[in-house]
Amino acid sequence: MELYGIFEWIYGLLADTGLPEPWLTFVVYLGLGVVIFGTLSVLALFLVWWERKIAGHIQQRFGPMRTGWHGWYQTIMDAVKLLQKEDIRVTTRDKAVFFWAPVVCFVAAYLAYVVIPFGENLWVADLNVGILYIIAVTTLTVISLLMAGWGSNNKYALLGGMRSAAQVVSYEVPMAVSILTIIVFSGSLSMVDIANSQQGNVIFNWFIFKPPFGIIAFLTYITAATAEANRTPFDIPEAEQELVAGYNVEYSGMKFAMFFLAEFVNLFTVSAIATTLFLGAWHGPLLPSWIWFLLKTFGMVLLLMLFRWTFPRLRVDQLMEFAWKFLVPLTFANLILAGWMKYAGWHW
Amino acid sequence: MGVLKDFFNLVKGMTITGKHLGRHAVTIQYPEQKMEMFERSRGVVVLLSDKETGELNCTMCMLCMRACPTAAIQIDAPRDENKKRVLNSFVIDNTLCCYCGLCEEACNFCAIKMAPLYEFSTWNKDDLVWDVKKLQEMGRDVPYEDTRKKKPAAADKPAAEKKPAAAANPGADAKPAAPEAKPAAPEAKPAAPEAKPAAPTEKPEETKDEAAPSKAEPSDDDKKGDV
Amino acid sequence: MSPLRTEEFTINMGPHHPSTHGVCRLILTMDGEKVLKVEPVIGYLHRSIEKICENRTYVQCVPLFDRFEYVTSMSCNMVFSLAVEKLAQIEVPERAEYLRVIMLELNRIASHLLFYGVTAMDIGALTPFLYGLRERELIVDLFEMTCGQRLTYNYIRPGGVSRDIPPEFIPKCREAVKIITEKMSDYEGLLNENPIWKVRNVGIGYLSAEDAIAWGVSGPVARASGVSYDIRKNDPYSIYDRFDFEIPVHHNGDCYDRYLQRLAEIKQSLRIVTQALDGLPEGEIQPKKKINAITFKPPAGEVYARVENSRGELGTYVVSDGTNKPLRVKMRGGSYNQLQALPIMIKDCLIADLVAIFASLDVIMPEVDR
Repeated sequence: MELYGIFEWIYGLLADTGLPEPWLTFVVYLGLGVVIFGTLSVLALFLVWWERKIAGHIQQRFGPMRTGWHGWYQTIMDAVKLLQKEDIRVTTRDKAVFFWAPVVCFVAAYLAYVVIPFGENLWVADLNVGILYIIAVTTLTVISLLMAGWGSNNKYALLGGMRSAAQVVSYEVPMAVSILTIIVFSGSLSMVDIANSQQGNVIFNWFIFKPPFGIIAFLTYITAATAEANRTPFDIPEAEQELVAGYNVEYSGMKFAMFFLAEFVNLFTVSAIATTLFLGAWHGPLLPSWIWFLLKTFGMVLLLMLFRWTFPRLRVDQLMEFAWKFLVPLTFANLILAGWMKYAGWHW
Repeated sequence: MGVLKDFFNLVKGMTITGKHLGRHAVTIQYPEQKMEMFERSRGVVVLLSDKETGELNCTMCMLCMRACPTAAIQIDAPRDENKKRVLNSFVIDNTLCCYCGLCEEACNFCAIKMAPLYEFSTWNKDDLVWDVKKLQEMGRDVPYEDTRKKKPAAADKPAAEKKPAAAANPGADAKPAAPEAKPAAPEAKPAAPEAKPAAPTEKPEETKDEAAPSKAEPSDDDKKGDV
Repeated sequence: MSPLRTEEFTINMGPHHPSTHGVCRLILTMDGEKVLKVEPVIGYLHRSIEKICENRTYVQCVPLFDRFEYVTSMSCNMVFSLAVEKLAQIEVPERAEYLRVIMLELNRIASHLLFYGVTAMDIGALTPFLYGLRERELIVDLFEMTCGQRLTYNYIRPGGVSRDIPPEFIPKCREAVKIITEKMSDYEGLLNENPIWKVRNVGIGYLSAEDAIAWGVSGPVARASGVSYDIRKNDPYSIYDRFDFEIPVHHNGDCYDRYLQRLAEIKQSLRIVTQALDGLPEGEIQPKKKINAITFKPPAGEVYARVENSRGELGTYVVSDGTNKPLRVKMRGGSYNQLQALPIMIKDCLIADLVAIFASLDVIMPEVDR
């Protein structure tokens, strides 16, 4: 596509200057990284605004209205404000852990985008273990939350950190298993291969429409992903009515902004993965592939936002029960049945 | 199928929120749009002026000051040698005001009103203590129904006698207005209201005086009993 | 290897915590997420209203009662007016009684709508809060239209009510009743059968009927435990004996039943409002001999008056010595007893349950601290 063309053009341009090969790759990937990072940060800012608007309209109010048309640059102004704010550091903190927690959180949030295909020929790297990589790096977030909870030296923060550790680790299992169901369908761990195996302009090629396993895997994935992204009804690590703000209660200014932004990048990540795995990735008629991808992803984001603004919050033990007593058996049964059907050679 | 029922109920909740997504906001954008205040809304306290003469309706009877439960109203109006009240100061401390509206009800002369105005925030707390000028200015455009009894300019005496009853009975039926009162001489106008309130103010003062000692005794006993 | 050593820790919930509804401080002894002990510390909102009342005339006390329990100020005005009327043997005109009932019931609805929203918000659902307040706004508008204020009404006075309703009140009120009746299905659809809502509330914070009685818990919390006690029926004041309504009772005594109880009470209150609007007579709103704000002196004596407000029995004990100021005023709010019963409800609960229980009690701190 067009963007990929631009990169090839830049690559060629740099090759002409006679830059040696390892440097050439480094520069190009650095550029690519900056572009992805920039795009996603802007996207996350946009998502914050969008969430606030959606929350507002669901609740029959306006949401941000002051800055620009319907407050479109509200989050940018918020970010500027947070940058200017004093960085309050509690004296009893664990200095190194307190400092690195938001950084780890922020970086971990972006790592998944190495393998997510944004469109036809529009990805950073097509790892042959792409989905495994995603499962691995998205779990990194939990370390940062635990670090934040521990480093703050605050009881509320510690409770939040412990909760998030328990929650994310638990929900990693059903999430991975429901993703495995898709791997059974596609026969590949590569994100691009998974996307390509849903090709065809008829939506029935999408894995979500492989009844009943596809839809079950989709629903379990969405549930687990909501928990992974720490969003209501699974937002117990920061449950503001119980733990005030949970793990980030002692953070202010830019450090808080990093947590906040990472949360919305995570929201986009889980939606993008859902799009790639279940909703036919970038495939769609007429429009360019990356627009299809964004449309589907935003659809998913909308769904997750609707969750957030509709449901109450689960309790921490109920959350665990739900994961281990309901989701894990269900996803395993789903996986085994799907694998058996595949083995038996039945097609849908 | 408990799971399916639960799932259905979750979806039902989401359809309700989803339906609201397309509806119009019920809130308004405040500084640009403003809510239409009800005529009776109790906002800030203002002093009303006569619609024709533009002078304060206030007769310095001090009823509002007495009715105020938080002592937000301070009137200083000593009598001069003619036993007329002279307004030295009329101060309302908006930081004390509790917006109960008792002053408005106590007033028999349509002089004080809780106007439907609410935009009077300041940067400085001291600016919330309003003097008579500010109060009058705030009350200029406040519409009100003039229920004052028109007093015959010449007949001060009967009016003064009639007043105590009215004071003890606020909002009692207005006695028929005398249309001749209007063209009365301008000097007569301020004189009349000043003379009249003398009577009503007397009464609460008396009652207060007699009330104070009788009140003090039992409360002291009460305290001793507690100890 | 020695076993892992764990220890209990205390955590300070409040006074400034988002879900303690004001400034209540709960000292929690926790074992991990589990709450072992809860100790409510009250008094952060103490304004000594009772004492201030002793220095105010009877009518001047009414605004103070507004601040006693500001979510249902009408009830507070009512209870003081009832006390003074009992003391001075004042007959209240018929129209004023009807207006009082309309206002009291509208205020009860408004309070329960606030409860609906706040409880949902404490359990994590943010949208019901706005829906509850949206309809509450209709009622608050009616109050503002009539008496000029949205929260501290100072409307029901000894002897009657302060002002008659404006002509547009009745159609607006009927419309509000209609809208709230319609929106009830939205409220119920959002939460009643929601599985998350149910697991968070069903069986949480059990309060037995015996405990409810023993701790003096009244109002919706007691009725949700199966104690069918409502002052409107058991000791009718004003003209409540003329209306046809039921006292809903639930029997499980958990958070979910307390929630259902309040929704059921909204429906009953809507019935009363409709009946009162239909039967509203013409006439005076204050007694023939009007009560002067400054000089009114009830005869010496003492009296206890009570009304049913949305948080239980709201009572006031007034002692008069024959002067224009009360000798002693004691206020009794339902929230106080409910808060004291909190420690027995937290058996084996987690911190999240504690929030749910606290919300379901619908405690309002100014009523506790006065």
